[in-house]
Amino acid sequence: MSAILSPGAGHSRFSVPPALRRHGSLIVVYGLILVVAIYASLSSPNFLTERNIFNVLRTAAFLGTVAIGQTFVIISGGIDLSVGSIIKLAALISAIVMNGEPENIGLAVAATLAMGALIGLINGLLITKLRIQPFIVTLGAYSILRGLAYTVATRPVGRAAPGFLRLYDLKIGPAPLLAIFLLALVLIGTFVLRRTAFGRYIYAIGGAEQVARLSGIRVDLIKIGVYVLCGALAALTGLLYLARAGIGDPVTGEGAELQAITAVILGGTSLFGGEGGLIGTLGGVLLLGLTNNVLVILNVSSWYQELIQGLVIVGAVALYKQKRR
Amino acid sequence: MTDAPILEMLNISKAFGGVQALREVSFSCAKGKVHALVGENGAGKSTLIKILAGAYQADSGEIVFKGRRYAGFSAREAMAAGIGIIYQELNLAPLMTVAENIFLGREPRNRFGVIDARRMAKDSAELLERLGVRLSPSARIGDLSVASQQMAEIAKALSQNADLIVMDEPSAILAGQELDRLFTTIRSLVAEGVTIVYISHRLNEIFEIADDVTVLKDGRVAGAQPIGEVTRARLIQMMVGRPFEEVFPRGARPRGAPALTARNVTTERLPHPASLTLYEGEILGLAGMVGAGRTEVARALFGADGLRSGEILLKGARIRPRSPKEAVEAGLAMAPEDRKSEGLFLDQSIRSNITLASLDKVTRFGVIQRDKETATIERARRELSIAMASPELEAQYLSGGNQQKVVLAKWLETSPSVIIFDEPTRGVDVGAKFEIYALMRELAERGVAILMISSDLIEILGMSDRILVMHERKIVAELTPDEASEERIIELATTGAQAEMNAQSGRA
Repeated sequence: MSAILSPGAGHSRFSVPPALRRHGSLIVVYGLILVVAIYASLSSPNFLTERNIFNVLRTAAFLGTVAIGQTFVIISGGIDLSVGSIIKLAALISAIVMNGEPENIGLAVAATLAMGALIGLINGLLITKLRIQPFIVTLGAYSILRGLAYTVATRPVGRAAPGFLRLYDLKIGPAPLLAIFLLALVLIGTFVLRRTAFGRYIYAIGGAEQVARLSGIRVDLIKIGVYVLCGALAALTGLLYLARAGIGDPVTGEGAELQAITAVILGGTSLFGGEGGLIGTLGGVLLLGLTNNVLVILNVSSWYQELIQGLVIVGAVALYKQKRR
Repeated sequence: MTDAPILEMLNISKAFGGVQALREVSFSCAKGKVHALVGENGAGKSTLIKILAGAYQADSGEIVFKGRRYAGFSAREAMAAGIGIIYQELNLAPLMTVAENIFLGREPRNRFGVIDARRMAKDSAELLERLGVRLSPSARIGDLSVASQQMAEIAKALSQNADLIVMDEPSAILAGQELDRLFTTIRSLVAEGVTIVYISHRLNEIFEIADDVTVLKDGRVAGAQPIGEVTRARLIQMMVGRPFEEVFPRGARPRGAPALTARNVTTERLPHPASLTLYEGEILGLAGMVGAGRTEVARALFGADGLRSGEILLKGARIRPRSPKEAVEAGLAMAPEDRKSEGLFLDQSIRSNITLASLDKVTRFGVIQRDKETATIERARRELSIAMASPELEAQYLSGGNQQKVVLAKWLETSPSVIIFDEPTRGVDVGAKFEIYALMRELAERGVAILMISSDLIEILGMSDRILVMHERKIVAELTPDEASEERIIELATTGAQAEMNAQSGRA
């Protein structure tokens, strides 16, 4: 009985309006972005320049794309540690397949995305059919794929086609193409999460998997779908890196899995699953990107960058928890 | 043993925001007695107990315990004063042993400051002995039955020298013999002078174990009397203000064609072949002890546990549900026993809870159509009279009764022809119970076939058109309402088939 709230006991928890409770993390993360931006523009003239802002937004697409996939996985109650290695492998494979030839672009993109999806499929099958924990499956995949990538190449290989390379610098009006691309992905992803049956099931599974199963939801299928999506988005991130670097560089994607998880958590998505969303993740991505940018502009050593990033994540999550009580 | 009150809570009031949870409630327990505290959910029992436990502070009023006056106290002071609370959701560390749990945070130390495991084991054994339970102090909590875990909790309270133990719905997680054992323990504790406050929805128990009863309704005391001076009907009336006869609606519909037939069904958890037929428009009660295999039968029918052998016919057509998904598509629905872990998404909105099993009805090309979904929810709210502030609210904020209605609404949207209710009114207050009974009966009248699993014999006898009794994972008897009685069901459920011969003596 203690867990079934009497109306009286319930009231005390209502004192924070549900809307605020639900959006509390968004307020925090976007508020922090504002604070960091104001601080930066006051302390350095180099921050609020068109070129710098352009760069911050453009860079966000890299972490943003992989973090979207990670958000789906985490909402479903899982985690994907293999995305960094998928990015690495994707950058190599796409560079090798494309090999500087414009007519190979289509094939390279298709093959790379298919590879990402396939890895996601294998992750998903191992998690659902063999009932191995996502952490373990994707930790294994992280290591295997990383090893695989280094057998493919230990130094930069392949080449992007010139047209593909240009994508990185393209603008639509004043805005970088990649930023608009990320925004579009976030909006589509949000629609999928909030307005489609697939999205509803993801929240349901992350919230209470057993209930979802007993409600007749194809839990395994949805979960596999989530990992496939995450793998494909990681591969897409690898393609973006190719568009930036022009070659397949084996150091691509180092630490991207933890960066992505950090962004997702900063965005207010619960590591336990069942709640969160992409608008928050976008905020997390922008906050991380912005913090790095500001620290670079202010000439802070990269050691301090990591330190500050750690403080930001623990601090932000501590703030969310306060909002919830 | 005297009748002097060991505990008096005087004129306790408590408000949360604008809601007055308790108004001038006075509650008094005589030493060495069992005092039942009853009332619907939301009546204020939990709030009152939490004030006693020191979890909440009263706005006004005072507590007199063992002659000392307190304006209020902290959880720590409550414990030190000798008040032990056994919550329904037990507070034990599953990976630690019984002894470690009993002394958690108060481990006896030897003179080197190291935990004295031998003394801990010895003291635990003595405590368990005193409770009359055979339980090894070195057993791991997680390996024990819920009943044994409860005993460990009681031992823990005793180890803190509690002279007043509050048990919050202890029977909700027990059945049959386990409950008898708990009662034996309670009686021996009372004989030692310990006072018990016993909270329960189940009137049978209250009449069996309690000396006195206090009824709360809407945050006020509706009555406080020795149990001998009050009748069952009077007690219900005090709790809900409705006469007893209206509790169980009877059906007028003759039973129809077979809706669901199971023939020699076995699963991993149901080793003996089980067969049953469920007719359209009937409520078939499935009685038995906890662990007798009732839930396993439900899970087999619903495709939650894969069939090893046997067949299931739905309206004459063979189905072989390998997953709940296939069962749902065939027209089955199940409201599971453990609503919180199997029936409801506590953290999700009422909206997504209600339409979750039938999303295809409100989606087009996989996209949810909000207005259609909202219309569905409005209809469910109206038809089931679900009390909710907004469908966007998370389901955890609903009362037990309303939660159960949301589970029901979810399934009604799939237009099932068969619904399995596993303990439909567990954790549901009396008022909402009536509504759920009425809904079940209405569904049956519409031709839905209902299989109702229940440990509440009153519910089984009151609702069922036919009763099956299970014993040790076998269906041992089928009874008509005329043949059935509490005694006969208990006998069948505890001893199995042989008892059927001499069960006649149990009816009188």
